[in-house]
Amino acid sequence: MVEIVVENLFFKYHDAEKYALKNINLVIKERESIAILGENGAGKTTLAKNLNGLLKPTQGSVRIDGIDTRSLSVAKIARKVGFVCHNPDHQFFAETVEEEIKFGLRNFGFSEKEAEKKLQEVLKIFGLEEYRRRNPFQLSGGEKKRLAIASIIVWNPELLILDEPTIGMDYAQRQNIQKILKSLVSEGRSIIVITHDVDFAANICERAVVLSRGEIIGDGSLRDLLSNQEVIEKASLRKPFLIELEEELGFKRFEEDFDSISEFLIRVFPRCRS
Amino acid sequence: MSFLKAFKYRKKDSIIHRLDPRSKFLFSIVLMSFSIVFLDIRVLLTILAFQIILLGLSKTLREWVYSLKGLTFFFVIIFVTQLLFGGNIFTGFVFSIRLIVLSSSMSWFFLSSSPEDIGRAMSSARLPIELVFSFIMSIRFIPVIYDEFQSIYDAQRSRGLELEKGGFRTKIKNLMPILIPLLIGTIRRTYEIADAMEVRAFGASSKRTSYKDLKFRRGDYFLCLISILLVFTMVYLKLLLAIE
Repeated sequence: MVEIVVENLFFKYHDAEKYALKNINLVIKERESIAILGENGAGKTTLAKNLNGLLKPTQGSVRIDGIDTRSLSVAKIARKVGFVCHNPDHQFFAETVEEEIKFGLRNFGFSEKEAEKKLQEVLKIFGLEEYRRRNPFQLSGGEKKRLAIASIIVWNPELLILDEPTIGMDYAQRQNIQKILKSLVSEGRSIIVITHDVDFAANICERAVVLSRGEIIGDGSLRDLLSNQEVIEKASLRKPFLIELEEELGFKRFEEDFDSISEFLIRVFPRCRS
Repeated sequence: MSFLKAFKYRKKDSIIHRLDPRSKFLFSIVLMSFSIVFLDIRVLLTILAFQIILLGLSKTLREWVYSLKGLTFFFVIIFVTQLLFGGNIFTGFVFSIRLIVLSSSMSWFFLSSSPEDIGRAMSSARLPIELVFSFIMSIRFIPVIYDEFQSIYDAQRSRGLELEKGGFRTKIKNLMPILIPLLIGTIRRTYEIADAMEVRAFGASSKRTSYKDLKFRRGDYFLCLISILLVFTMVYLKLLLAIE
């Protein structure tokens, strides 16, 4: 399983005057589900692109399984670290869904037989079987997003990074993506989700890395960080619905405070007792 | 694609930025003419030095230097064709400088003139608004297309695409996963913009007025005077001194 160590990472775009990332230190271990949160322009996508080698550090280092990303090609890293960009239209070019999914497999040297087998599997997982021969550009927003994730997950990368997976999605589509990602996490796959959607993040991830103006202002349990008013304000976030509800009701934590919750529910809904 | 950045307007407070785009355009055309008319390295290097001073004055030297990286591919082609068809390294160098002067003449103008000002300059020349608008949009779209190209390139590299690998045919074939989404995205955006313009009544009024009018100032007259002097110099060098 993949392990990423980020040490004193500074990153500056070539035509920029300021650093987009400053002094980032992170360790991403196997089987972790991490949400990268922060305001617009905080450096979330830049950090993600440094993690999969699309961008190389200006200072400091990003090491994947001990190897500096500067000495690895993007294709080599992509085999281990899959990156789903926020706009699926940026990656579609094939005439059919099937060809789109097989593109990565061919680049990584899978045989046609293996590719076909893996294609069948992901089509089933992502509910895309009936669209197999459809043009990717003719799919709906939610279907496109599913296809984009499927076309990365198909070669089984050890870590999956998703940039804004729920942007522009309706509730049903969002729930669908959430369900798929939850099942990937429960299978033990490492996932990094870049999002503004705190409820979505709270439902999938256990750890959060909160960025503000290119710096990490919080790294730890998602629940703890998103209960911290200072972090929330600095990163222009809001508390997830569940945490807000807990606070409104005066409970510590839903999962730790079952007795009080039961008492409360019985008081409000007396018929619960029976 | 990084050479496209040489045509992206940079909002800066400089003496060049404050000039009227019409005087700057005239001057750019004159500088460009030098690179077309002359092949003499002394003339080309003098014009290049002149352009570097102008880029320095417009505080866009860094962007220009970066854009030169994008021309590397063309430099290689120039050197290869020169060596293959009877030239030598020196002629390759001369043609490369010619290319730099040619592209810098225009990049200096575009780096320091906002698309809005260019549009106003075109309107003041009584060009039809449809043409002016299409031109402005195409300038504005250069950096947008560059950014989109970069995003698509990143997305495909994340799926194991390696443009550097293989022979010439493979490289061309490998460009397809980048060019197809880029083309589709651009066409789609064109329709979206056309719709957005129509719903805001573009073209409903035949007589258009401008919120801001361009004014020729002392600096613009001075630049026009230099342009005229340069034209005379060009004629003198070419016809009387017979410089190649």
